[in-house]
Amino acid sequence: MSFRHLWAVIRKEIQHILRDRGSLILVLITPTVVLLLMTYALAVDIKHVPIAVLDYDQSPVSRQFIQKITAGDDLDLYTSAGSMTEIENLLLRGKIKAAIILDPGFSADLFSLQGLALQVVIDGTEPETGGFAVDHIGWRAETFANQILSTQLQASGLAVDTLQPIDLRIRAWYNPSLVPQVDLVPGLLSVVLGFPAFSVALTLAREHEHRTMEQLLATPIKRIELLLGKIIPYILAGLMNVLIIPLFAMAWFDVPFNGSFLVFLFLSVIFLFAELSMGMVIGVFMRSQSAALALSFLVVMFPGFFLTGIFFPIASLPELARMESLFLPGTQYAIITRGVFLTGIGLDVLWPYAVMLLFLGLVFTGTAALFFKKKLA
Amino acid sequence: MIRRILSLVNKEFLHLKNDWWLPAFMLFGGALELLMIGWATSRPITNLPLMIWDMDKTPASRNLVISIENTGTFELMEPATSLEFIRDQMDRGNINAAVIIPNGFAGELNNPAGKPILQVILNGAESIPAREAQRAIEGVVWDLGQKITIQKLGVSAEQFAGFNFSLRVWFNEALNEAYFTTPAELALMLEFTILLFAALTFSREREFGTLEQLLVMPFTSLEIIIGKSIPVILVGLFDFSLMLGVVHFAFHVPIRGSILLMFSLAFMYTLVELGKGMAISVFSRSQHQSFLLVLLVGMIDFMFTGYAAPVESMPQIIQTLAYLIPAHHWLAILRGIILKGATIRELLPNVLWLLVLGSIIGYFSLRYIRKALD
Repeated sequence: MSFRHLWAVIRKEIQHILRDRGSLILVLITPTVVLLLMTYALAVDIKHVPIAVLDYDQSPVSRQFIQKITAGDDLDLYTSAGSMTEIENLLLRGKIKAAIILDPGFSADLFSLQGLALQVVIDGTEPETGGFAVDHIGWRAETFANQILSTQLQASGLAVDTLQPIDLRIRAWYNPSLVPQVDLVPGLLSVVLGFPAFSVALTLAREHEHRTMEQLLATPIKRIELLLGKIIPYILAGLMNVLIIPLFAMAWFDVPFNGSFLVFLFLSVIFLFAELSMGMVIGVFMRSQSAALALSFLVVMFPGFFLTGIFFPIASLPELARMESLFLPGTQYAIITRGVFLTGIGLDVLWPYAVMLLFLGLVFTGTAALFFKKKLA
Repeated sequence: MIRRILSLVNKEFLHLKNDWWLPAFMLFGGALELLMIGWATSRPITNLPLMIWDMDKTPASRNLVISIENTGTFELMEPATSLEFIRDQMDRGNINAAVIIPNGFAGELNNPAGKPILQVILNGAESIPAREAQRAIEGVVWDLGQKITIQKLGVSAEQFAGFNFSLRVWFNEALNEAYFTTPAELALMLEFTILLFAALTFSREREFGTLEQLLVMPFTSLEIIIGKSIPVILVGLFDFSLMLGVVHFAFHVPIRGSILLMFSLAFMYTLVELGKGMAISVFSRSQHQSFLLVLLVGMIDFMFTGYAAPVESMPQIIQTLAYLIPAHHWLAILRGIILKGATIRELLPNVLWLLVLGSIIGYFSLRYIRKALD
């Protein structure tokens, strides 16, 4: 490999990028902007879930109960419904996410320890809000019932301070309040730094599409030089985001950075090499930019989103998907970023992931180089 | 005019013949993608690696461990013997949670005045599994606590039924995860498909310098726009049908509303996104640039759709802006028709919004594109 050749290709690619000013700006800012947007879209603390109440009991206790249920800012009372049909209608229109129905004997049952004459209906089409409403209604209802029971027991001379006899002490390490964006931002890095892979796929497919590939190959430039020359400018573009995003994460989203920045930078370069090589394989196989784009969405974007353990734990995936996730550079990098940002671990723990990334990068580059040769022969 | 438009449509399809990958992706890519995403995401969170440090080693503590295991949320790792070991495993990200049962747990449990302590450590570096683990363990402890209280009170289980309420889930009685995820994913996939292919229409011609050739031919700009639109619409609706088939047949999601209504509104929505995509296409200098713009526009839409997080919980300003995003209404419409069996009466506000936004977007896109072409 000659560095003069490599440099020539890099210069050509950079010139091409610079000529298309619009794309240049977009290549540089897209990862950071998308990370911001996605964090805002995904790291939402659920609150103000609209609910309706249907009170058949109409007793002071039931009114007190309703008041207690909607006291916080987690559940908002949208309306007091007059009938089941009204509730049905509200759910159908999506105006409320859950409804509480207090049956006629609500207060009587409560005082005679018969349990809760309470029905909860949730909108099963929106899992987050529905599940959230159930949890919070349940939690408030149990507290309310326990208070009534405790006062009753005390009145009858039994000393029961609380109905929860187990002292459950829950602590969360690395992210004590389990703030979603704290682990989302490092996780999303592996998605947004994958975007330059699309550009690599497109730039290689472009040479096919414009029939300039033959011209390039008629020059004394070797194939591997051409491939590497194509990805290095985009690795640099990606690295710019590697520098910007941690600043954003720390200043804007209060994400801690407990590890070493040098380790992070070093591992990010390896990740970009592996991830962008995937784009290279796609670009070598596809003859048109539109096809390269479509294939990149299929094999880079969506698996990178759903199979790398950022949103959905890998442990819960089916066996086959778990296998696949191992071979996605994003999976390894998500572990690395969370480790460097939150856990504060170093190379002593992270080296296997780095080795895996390097291995994947070499396999992808090798595949691209091999098939590149065959396709042209 | 129709003949001329048809010849333009024909030209678009001719282009596809050179490269069989592209038509394959155009027609089946969406369905394949949906199949993949749906398969990966439409399942509950299970098998979270959990480590238990049982210092008590009594029947009571073992029962607790069994109850935790029975939730199905966890997969038990090798038992821990020290806090350092737990710390190490958590640092490495090998476990999502650890439960520590201290010495004397059973003793405290049986003591009338006792209050046994149970410690739980969650791996906050992965907050989604951590929350799920917390929820599962809290549930187990709550049930156990109620049982103990009943015993302490000397009340028999028949007398005190516990404070549980009956829960009914409408539109998704069995709490099937696929019901939540796949209709929303279908809605987003249609948006991305249309946006992407519409955005490439003019930018490809411009990149190759063939746009000028097209313009000197005896076509009016409206004819060119219609000729370019028809293939995108056809591909979009074909993909939509195929993806709907995936949702219904592969993920067994019932379609409770009117199919006719759904396709009419899908067609309407396709036109709205087509307007956006073509405006991007005319604006961009290259296919690369249109793709990057689609990515940005698509992500902004994604944020407002309410797919990942409910819009009601977002800041007021975002809630207001969400009304101006067509995809937000489209998602509500699709979920409504598929899962709730909603009719045009319930969907009227969303449909009207879509109509108004579509007209505005369509008007301005058309003006912009014609101006750029003339």
